[in-house]
Amino acid sequence: MNNKMRTSTLESLNMGSVLDIFKNGKLPVNNDELIDKVFGPKNNRGAMIISGASGIVGAGKVMQFASRLKPYNIPIIALDLPGAPDGISKQYKGLVRAFGRDGANDIMKNIIQLTYDGKSLPETLKSYNPKFLLEAIPEQLELKKVHYQLFKKEFPGIHIWSVTSGFPSKQLGVDIAHPAFPHEINKVFEIVEKQPSVQTQLLWSLGLIPMQMSDDWSFVLDVFFCGLMLASLQYQEKSNMPYWKADKYVRQIIGPNPFRAHDAIGAKGANFLTWSCLYHLSKAYGPLFKPTQSLDEHKDSGQNWYPPDHFRPMVNWHLDNKGKEELHQIIFGALFQMTSIMIKEKRADFVSMNAIGELCAQFTKGLLATMRNQGNTNIINTVKAYQKLHPEAAKTKWYPDVFKKMDTPEWLQLYVNAEHDGKVGVITISRESYNSDVDAELNRAIDWLKKNKIKRVILTSDFHLSTQMVGADTTEFFPALTDTREGYRIAFNWSKTARRFYNEFDISLGFINGKRCMGGMLELMMHCHYLFADTDTSLAMPEVTLPVIPGMEGCHWSIRKAKPTDRNKLISMLMDGKQVKAKDAVGWFVDYASSLENGLKKAWEIMQEGTSALPIRKVEANALKISVKAAKIPNSRNPEFEEARKAIADCIEQACGAPLTKAIEIQARHSADFMVTKLCRKGRVGSEYDKIMQ
Amino acid sequence: MFPDARIPYGTWGSSYFPAWQTSPLAEVNIGQFAGEAMARIMGLRKTPVSHLDYLVIGSTVPWHFKFWNATVVASCMGKRVPGYQMEQACATGLQAIILAGAQIQTGASQVAGVLTFDRTSDSPVGVFPERRAYRRTEVISDVWDNFGFDPATGGSMLASAGNVARKYKIEKKEVDELTAHRYEQYFKAKESGFIRRYAVALEVLNMQGKSMGVIEDDIGVKKLSLDTLRSMRELDSCVTGGTQTHAADGMATLLVTNADKAKELSLNPKVDIQFIAKTEVRVAPSMMPEAPAVAVQKLLKQTGLTMNDITVVKDHNPFAINDAVFAKVMNYDWRKMNNTGSPLVWGHPQGPTLTRVTIEALEEAVDLGGGYVLIFGCVRDIGIASIFKVN
Repeated sequence: MNNKMRTSTLESLNMGSVLDIFKNGKLPVNNDELIDKVFGPKNNRGAMIISGASGIVGAGKVMQFASRLKPYNIPIIALDLPGAPDGISKQYKGLVRAFGRDGANDIMKNIIQLTYDGKSLPETLKSYNPKFLLEAIPEQLELKKVHYQLFKKEFPGIHIWSVTSGFPSKQLGVDIAHPAFPHEINKVFEIVEKQPSVQTQLLWSLGLIPMQMSDDWSFVLDVFFCGLMLASLQYQEKSNMPYWKADKYVRQIIGPNPFRAHDAIGAKGANFLTWSCLYHLSKAYGPLFKPTQSLDEHKDSGQNWYPPDHFRPMVNWHLDNKGKEELHQIIFGALFQMTSIMIKEKRADFVSMNAIGELCAQFTKGLLATMRNQGNTNIINTVKAYQKLHPEAAKTKWYPDVFKKMDTPEWLQLYVNAEHDGKVGVITISRESYNSDVDAELNRAIDWLKKNKIKRVILTSDFHLSTQMVGADTTEFFPALTDTREGYRIAFNWSKTARRFYNEFDISLGFINGKRCMGGMLELMMHCHYLFADTDTSLAMPEVTLPVIPGMEGCHWSIRKAKPTDRNKLISMLMDGKQVKAKDAVGWFVDYASSLENGLKKAWEIMQEGTSALPIRKVEANALKISVKAAKIPNSRNPEFEEARKAIADCIEQACGAPLTKAIEIQARHSADFMVTKLCRKGRVGSEYDKIMQ
Repeated sequence: MFPDARIPYGTWGSSYFPAWQTSPLAEVNIGQFAGEAMARIMGLRKTPVSHLDYLVIGSTVPWHFKFWNATVVASCMGKRVPGYQMEQACATGLQAIILAGAQIQTGASQVAGVLTFDRTSDSPVGVFPERRAYRRTEVISDVWDNFGFDPATGGSMLASAGNVARKYKIEKKEVDELTAHRYEQYFKAKESGFIRRYAVALEVLNMQGKSMGVIEDDIGVKKLSLDTLRSMRELDSCVTGGTQTHAADGMATLLVTNADKAKELSLNPKVDIQFIAKTEVRVAPSMMPEAPAVAVQKLLKQTGLTMNDITVVKDHNPFAINDAVFAKVMNYDWRKMNNTGSPLVWGHPQGPTLTRVTIEALEEAVDLGGGYVLIFGCVRDIGIASIFKVN
């Protein structure tokens, strides 16, 4: 029997747990089977129709599905009214960037553009045997209903999904797959359906991220993002602060630039969508969501929020502490109040809700994680302060009680989960970058497994929300740019967490199953006794390119594990920052690289049989004499790059040159000291800090 | 005059007035600057510009996009309201307030913004086809060519000051002493923090969003001693470099509304500021500095008030002679007026000058517990005067 800290998000899709994946040695569903179920058998494959295909959402989804369904020869019928602005051609450039010209042309070959008059369907459609309709027509309920009838009459049994940004499924009469942001590279879909369907599972198996939602007005992303826009507008209207500056402050405290985002998407369409979402929410829930006068105006005019180039901002704004506090109260107060409604309604599990904030609304930190960190009392006080500043909000009910029990695993484990079967544990991380929340949750997960006397553990991603592991969240380093104590604290504590996988389990196995694993995440994984990866997974320590010095023992840990003859390969990885394919790193960095299924089976074999299944490479605990110079890394002829290399080389030599017990402090010190240098400040982290915080 | 119109206390402010060519303001579109600065100032006064339903802008030097008038400035301010641009040279600031009062009194608006601004630096140049001129096309540097030449008389403003000094037999000694006193008044007000109550430090950004500097002082204004003033060469009778104002850049703004709304917007609802009266007169050609005194005479007659009834007396004094003549005509001690500074010292960006004078006067009246406030000034050979009442 499996035990778990909390329910895995995979289970909400009816796909079992991550532990089951390892036990079964395969993924819960199979692409070919799902394709057959959704589109019919190979000899009688049907087509996918995307209606409203020329719009912002439709065109993005045409590209997304065309590229993913191409290998299965499933035609994408892009249907729209005659004369609709051609949104599909606009996507072509992006397709070329992602797949190269030949690949893009190949995908385009599979897109069939048809027009219809809105009242009847083209005759030719029948010849494509449509099985699946993704509707992306304008947000008018009656129009949509007529549209569905048209398809149902012509193609009984066709599966229909609406991409609607607001209407509940019960009003539409069809299920919903709401793309959480129309952009073609965004993988998240908010799904509304009674039971997880094969179509939903197909999305997952195609590498997309479906999340199950309840059937309520609007969607989690829309409430978050439109809610943030509304709160920003409320603050703007109260303070007169220009939109561009409000954007800057909002970005500092929560992450996105709501106003710029509207302009970037296309103000005319985006203003309408935001207004429409808020307008309908205000009808359903009350004045908390009421669009402001300026949003009404911008909806009607389609005007950008940022001034045109000839009126680039001239007078700067600075907020004093009181001003910052008011901004904080309005932004977070509004979002907390809105979120309480969604939690009360059980719109989604906490993990998904939190992830949508990060993955789609571009929050620096998930909103539920932020709330958890603030605690019940602060949340209530913030909402109260908000309602004082914006009394209209108090006319909409809110639910402070939902924040009472924040010590449950659902609240505590938003990014990290743990499961075990009494003998083997699996710890899964659903966040692509490592931050203090992940660190804390990871420690709690380790504690939980240890409490349950689990001695063998697999550390991996969650096979759902996290499709890659990109490294440390560099926004966490901002305080370290001016304070070495902060840099040291982060590096030392995170390294301590990583070491727990080496010290506190008999066997630990880092299983990398995404496209790439880099930086801090790779440092974490390398601390496991075994490091597994998919054959083509890219691995890299790109710190030198930022530049920063790896903080989680990346400068010595893997070197201590490698044979002396292989150490220069690791030094090259650190000094060049280039990616290495897992299959090319077997033996000196990776312990096992294979197809996913073989990797799953081998990992489970080790968990069952122990180290006899694959010898463990020992971590040398004594001091090593390492000379980076001896690795003969060619000079880059870039003085700043060479300066960063020198700092990393010093760290390698000194951290390796100390016993393992001391190396953790040495590496953390080097990392922290470098963080306050001019070079680091000029680099990616410093520039990002200046851009966001200055 | 406008019994229903009020100026809500504290909903006002100005930039500092840097002397021409001394600050980033010399390089900006002053209309845009003024619009954005007004939003900033009203933000600091906790007054959302969303309250505004009208905007009277006052400016005298052509600015880029002037054709679009108040609408474009309002957009820069962040609230798309109707409005118009008016100008009356140095009287612009006061006249704009009066016009906003009329806008309220007629019931056409609830809250009218007054926004006055000018950039004298880097004067725009106008090219006018003039078929009857021997040069066929006249090119005018808007600021300096106009300051130096009154087409109706052929004389300059500076010459008009000399004319009036001679007519009223004003002596340079008195003008120098008066000027020294004005400098003392300004620096005393500055040191006391009075100016910081209404003037706002504003950081100006370039196209890349980088700071061009913070305008946090009346740049270019330095202490002048009586000895220095005495040593200055006369350019005309009683006029030296020290006894006349200097060109500057800047903006000033305030709100005008009705009595109910004033209570809502005011930073101190107990203070009630009313419009009492206004007049204008025109004196003989090239006699500009005597016009304000004549206007005040007329205004007092019109209202039945005397100088003894007035709590705060403040004027736009481009020449120190203005104040000397006023004192002589009205039999009033010039030491009692312009207590917190005046344009003679802090400069003359034209459009906003009398707005700043009015703001200072109203602040002073509130400090003194209320009373009548007399504001006056000259524009060419016109005198303009107005009385407000602070309760």
